Amino acid sequence: MANVIPVTWSRRIPAFLLSPSQFLSSTTSESFLEELLHELRDDRTNESTKIFLLSPLLEYPTVLCPTPAAAEETALELLAIFNQVPHKSFHFKGQLMVAITSVLLCTSCMNSEVEVAKSFLDMVFQMIQDTNDHKNGQQFLSARLIACDCLREIETCFPGFLSQKLEILSLLKQQETTPLHQEYSLLYTLGLKNAIHHLCLQKGVTDAELKRTLSGNDTFVWNAFETVLARLPVNFMENIPVLQTSTDNKELKSVVSLLLEESYLLTPVSQAVLLRELIEIVAMVQALSPAMFKSQLLRLFGTKEITLLHATLLMKSTFTDSLFTTEDEIFFLKRLVGMAQHPLVNIQQKLFYVDCILNFPENRPISGNGEESLPVLVTPRLAASLLPTVFNDSKTMLSRLRLLSLVYMEADESDDKGVGYLFSHLMTLYKVVDNNSKREMTVTYFRATFIFLSYFYHNLKFIDNLTNNICELYSRHFYLAPNLINLIDKIQECLEESGWPIQLLKTLQRLIVELPLPLMTLTNLKWHLKILSRVSRESQIPPRASLCFLLSVLINSSLCKTGGWKMGNAVLIVCRNLLQHPSLHQVFSELADLLQYLMYNYEDTDIQDHARFYYTLLNNLSQEKLSGVLAKGPDVERSAKTRSLSSMVPESDGLSNSLTVYQTKNRILKLTRVQNIRTQTVMQKSKSEGHGDCLTTYEGEYVSTGFVSKMILEYHLIHVGDVNALYNKLFSICLHFDLTDSCYEKVSDINIPCLFKSRKPPVVRLALQPRQPYPTHLHVCAVFSTDDGMSWYTQLDDLLVSFSDLFVPLPVPVNWTQESQEQLFDHLWNSMCQDNFSLKASSLFCFDLGGRQISDLVEENFNPYLISKQPEKKCYKVLFYLPPQYHLLLKIVNTEDAVKVHIATDNWELLPFINNYLKTVT
Amino acid sequence: MSFRALWIITHEKGEQATICFSRRYPTVELRAKAYAGENYVAVPEDTAILCPLLTELGLTDPDKAFMVARDDCARSQHSPALELRLEGRDGGVLWPLLTMAQGGLILACLPLVEAPLEPRPPLPSLASVSLGLSFLEGLQIFLSGTTGKLELEALASKLALLPTVLLQVCPLGTPRDTPQVGVTAPPGPAGSQKQPAWKPGLHRGRAMVNVAVSETVRSMQYGSPTMQDQWDVYGTVTCKCEVEGVLPNVMVTLSLPPNGSPLQDVLVHPCVTSLDSSILTASSVDDADGSSFSGPYKFPFSPPLEPFRLCSYTSQVPVPPILGSYQLKEGSHLGVTLSLKLHESVRNSFEYCEAQLPFFNRGPLSNVDVKVSSGQLEVSKEKSMLVWVLGQKFPKSREVSLGGSMSFSEQLSGPTDPLCTGLTAYVKLCFRVPDLTLSGCSVDQHSVQVYSSAKPRITTSRELVSSEYYIWNCTGDAPVSSGLAVL
Repeated sequence: MANVIPVTWSRRIPAFLLSPSQFLSSTTSESFLEELLHELRDDRTNESTKIFLLSPLLEYPTVLCPTPAAAEETALELLAIFNQVPHKSFHFKGQLMVAITSVLLCTSCMNSEVEVAKSFLDMVFQMIQDTNDHKNGQQFLSARLIACDCLREIETCFPGFLSQKLEILSLLKQQETTPLHQEYSLLYTLGLKNAIHHLCLQKGVTDAELKRTLSGNDTFVWNAFETVLARLPVNFMENIPVLQTSTDNKELKSVVSLLLEESYLLTPVSQAVLLRELIEIVAMVQALSPAMFKSQLLRLFGTKEITLLHATLLMKSTFTDSLFTTEDEIFFLKRLVGMAQHPLVNIQQKLFYVDCILNFPENRPISGNGEESLPVLVTPRLAASLLPTVFNDSKTMLSRLRLLSLVYMEADESDDKGVGYLFSHLMTLYKVVDNNSKREMTVTYFRATFIFLSYFYHNLKFIDNLTNNICELYSRHFYLAPNLINLIDKIQECLEESGWPIQLLKTLQRLIVELPLPLMTLTNLKWHLKILSRVSRESQIPPRASLCFLLSVLINSSLCKTGGWKMGNAVLIVCRNLLQHPSLHQVFSELADLLQYLMYNYEDTDIQDHARFYYTLLNNLSQEKLSGVLAKGPDVERSAKTRSLSSMVPESDGLSNSLTVYQTKNRILKLTRVQNIRTQTVMQKSKSEGHGDCLTTYEGEYVSTGFVSKMILEYHLIHVGDVNALYNKLFSICLHFDLTDSCYEKVSDINIPCLFKSRKPPVVRLALQPRQPYPTHLHVCAVFSTDDGMSWYTQLDDLLVSFSDLFVPLPVPVNWTQESQEQLFDHLWNSMCQDNFSLKASSLFCFDLGGRQISDLVEENFNPYLISKQPEKKCYKVLFYLPPQYHLLLKIVNTEDAVKVHIATDNWELLPFINNYLKTVT
Repeated sequence: MSFRALWIITHEKGEQATICFSRRYPTVELRAKAYAGENYVAVPEDTAILCPLLTELGLTDPDKAFMVARDDCARSQHSPALELRLEGRDGGVLWPLLTMAQGGLILACLPLVEAPLEPRPPLPSLASVSLGLSFLEGLQIFLSGTTGKLELEALASKLALLPTVLLQVCPLGTPRDTPQVGVTAPPGPAGSQKQPAWKPGLHRGRAMVNVAVSETVRSMQYGSPTMQDQWDVYGTVTCKCEVEGVLPNVMVTLSLPPNGSPLQDVLVHPCVTSLDSSILTASSVDDADGSSFSGPYKFPFSPPLEPFRLCSYTSQVPVPPILGSYQLKEGSHLGVTLSLKLHESVRNSFEYCEAQLPFFNRGPLSNVDVKVSSGQLEVSKEKSMLVWVLGQKFPKSREVSLGGSMSFSEQLSGPTDPLCTGLTAYVKLCFRVPDLTLSGCSVDQHSVQVYSSAKPRITTSRELVSSEYYIWNCTGDAPVSSGLAVL
């Protein structure tokens, strides 16, 4: 088969799918869509290419069809293609149906107003009814399967759409004997559930209405598209609406029993889906008893399929003791425990079963007290088989540790054998880490410690032991310092009342300061300094020992000579933290000594300077002022460190974070125009008074020197609508402008100190220097920082510079008389009309006033450029100066039948723009 | 009950990771947006998914010892659902992402949460999660087969098939089945009987039924008065049935010897039509449930076309098949003695049987002076392990022993293991005994009933294989393998 996909497409489609935004930066969605559709329509394109070409539409319909109109048109095209595809191309047909469904649903085109939606749905519904497909077997089956799925997706997105088609759907479901009956069953059940749900929401529904719904054979319910997704919140069963019908509804009952009976014929995945729908139906209709499921229970309890067991769990939480006896309940829970450790179940599923045990819905639950309350039935005895061991993978081990911690925490406190086991498990892990295990194991050990601590931090018997063990571990593996600090930070965050972090830090401090100096290497010292800097942040730990240790290291080792900037900085961080320490006064002289030593002996100049800076602060500021100076920025998230000069830390995790320039998702800034142009009028008083030959004066003094070559546009920089609160205060905004043609000189960046949402918007003056006076547009982007010190990049809408933006009044001093100006006008006019060989040109534009006054029109549009008005003659002279040095002269004369505008210019290429401009004005 | 997106990623130990397949479901995304409201986090483009996913799986920056984003101790790693922190400050958190990582392959699936995201609903309350887990398992088998080994060429051809397969099993994000490894059979003529959706065609030709019982035994033996030895057995019954008819009925009966202990934790294939409650009663979770049911275990079913696992069970057998004792003595040389005893109830006829004695955290073996009473002793190529090949039979006494001493050269380092330091060491036994089950469970050829016009050929088989069968050195500390034994 010649099913080779052309190289261009085999490159472009994956590129699009990988990142549509990047792909569309070099083309537009319209043109890409147009290309796709063109290729799809082309008969020469082979089928596998066509299927491949559909994938962008399947996955990103809203990107390719941003508007409903575009979607409608696309769907129409696809439908036309669909109708021409022969039946044997069932795979392509299937993909086309999926694509049309996706396009229509995602762009809110599914409504009765849209013709293509109607015809598509009619066709799809026709297809599922056309069961006479035995001749073409497989091909038709596949197409029908997809058609069913399309309808199911539509009904899921817009519940109730098929609620008046239940009779035909039921019939189709009954008649179908090929494996497709599964699709019909699912479609019917979903329709039924949504229809019942709809009835439940109405008041006083009679039995007859329910009956009518079941035997409904009407049109599609198009208004279902107006209510979006009113599905049952399955997790909050108490909120389920109930349909109170007076009598026993035999018909509905038999429908549900039949579906249940035949559920065996469905794939496990579909069975689970069907069961869930049926559970919801039975929960909504009082007349249906949950006992209907009884016959299925044994089969479900015995299954190896996770989806079916999960559906059974939903059944349990929905019907509790009206379906599950106490024995059933304990049996089911045991079954889940068995699954959570079964050798033939994969890890992910085992983890899920542990979650199911933790959230097991009991018949008689103790009222929800807090987030993590263990089901009463989960006793230490039941959970014992889930005790963690070192042979478990990390995730299983942590999940079991957490479950068992909960179990033992709630169990009898006098018996701590269980907790003892968990602790001994932690010790086994400790030994493994101590033997230089892999990183994964180390991380797991710290996670396990965190879990253990968060449940048993109050159990002193184990905690002291744990502290000593961790210290021993550190004494052999200094590189674990970041893990330790992380553990301390997190425990402090989660368990504010626990004194354990301080206890550990104190022990670590003692350990470090007592280490023999000769054995100290630079690498080890790096880790010790990390720990000491963490210690120095704790106000409850006396800092003297750390300081003495540091001073002796500095004096007795080669640190000052070979340490470099990083190590110096690490020492300085400790000092900086101590400057804020409440017992600073007790170690004042030690700290001063240390800083002084650094200042005079450390090789790195920057470190010397910093030490000197801290030394000065220490000696000159009171403690309150010191902490004020050194305090980090106000109200800043913990994770985002402010880039204050005094706390620049090279290896901190926050640094790369704060050095990254992030890109905003949406546009957040825009420029709005303030007023018209202002020329850069640096008008000095003219030497001559404009007498004599004013044209020569004008050309000689003003134009040829090119002093009016710039135009200034003024904008307000404002936020776009309601942006994220993060962007309410922006600082040091740098606006960058990119030209799109060569008619202008390069525009330099504009800096704006700040933009606050609550304050007046700043004015941005954009100076443009045209080389040619043509309209243009500029790309604009901005880089700025937010309150928390992060840098951002954002794109703004393009700036449009229209032709009229270029107009500048006659650039002559204000003291020129009107007479001189008129004289100049006439001179210019004559010179332009005479010369036929250069760029100069004249033209005529006529228009009808249409009831308006000529004077108003002129006043409104040309006032700043008016040279003379002679109302009696009905003639106006208008002069536009166009930087860099062009002129546009208008003589407007009102005659009887029309207004004539005589145009003269020294650049004929401007004529089309002039024409357009006059058209819009008039 | 749908998925928002699927990804397939290949990598080599966290490096050179590439997304080799992805599929998004925009209509499901539409629903996700409606459910989540203001907490909605869109599925990012493929370029933005890789880094956070690998970080969450602990696969980024292998050369960095600690990174908060990857190694934070408070990160909840106990759930099967990952939280992806997307890049950029307003990136948001994508939850619950289900993943399955095996070898160099990562499969990921983002199920739809049909509930408000705040407060975060418990995972078991979300229908799509189990569908996702089941789907990923199916996808995994589809891509790399049951062996789980990844071959790049095979993977590429499977990936090429995937769009077609997805169109069949999950065209719009709501799965109707898990991806199946192409069972192609012509659909039967539509008759009056409904054909199961899990059986796309009909079998035509000679009828045959094959039932195989395979038991796996695991053991941890310590030879210590403080630590109890552990062993357990689990079995699977695999069937391949080629029988005519839309819904043919087959019944397989498992029987136990008269004094056999009951089969526990019985799990059955969904094609089993009905179950007796007594079959399910016995459970390994409570040690003595006093259940006296010991079969026969009847499983009536209607078989699918492909081979399938009819049921699985666990069993508590009174003794391990091979009892061992392992002793190491540290001196100028390392002294070693190992004795193995085959239990008398076990058939003395192996397909293979060998004992592996690995030595970690030492140099390579330099001098081996070890004698065996039976079989041959080999030194592995890397000189870090002794392999004692016991062959097909234990001697008549059913006891074999190994003894002697060895030394290690200091210069070169051998394989390391953080668990096995000092005298903590083990022997691993690998064996397979055909035509035997420890639980005594068997399927009699004549008990297999097939209700069909043609008389099928029926074959049955049994086997016992070992897995994780360890004998720990009794002079060193051995790790606890089961908390149950300690408490």
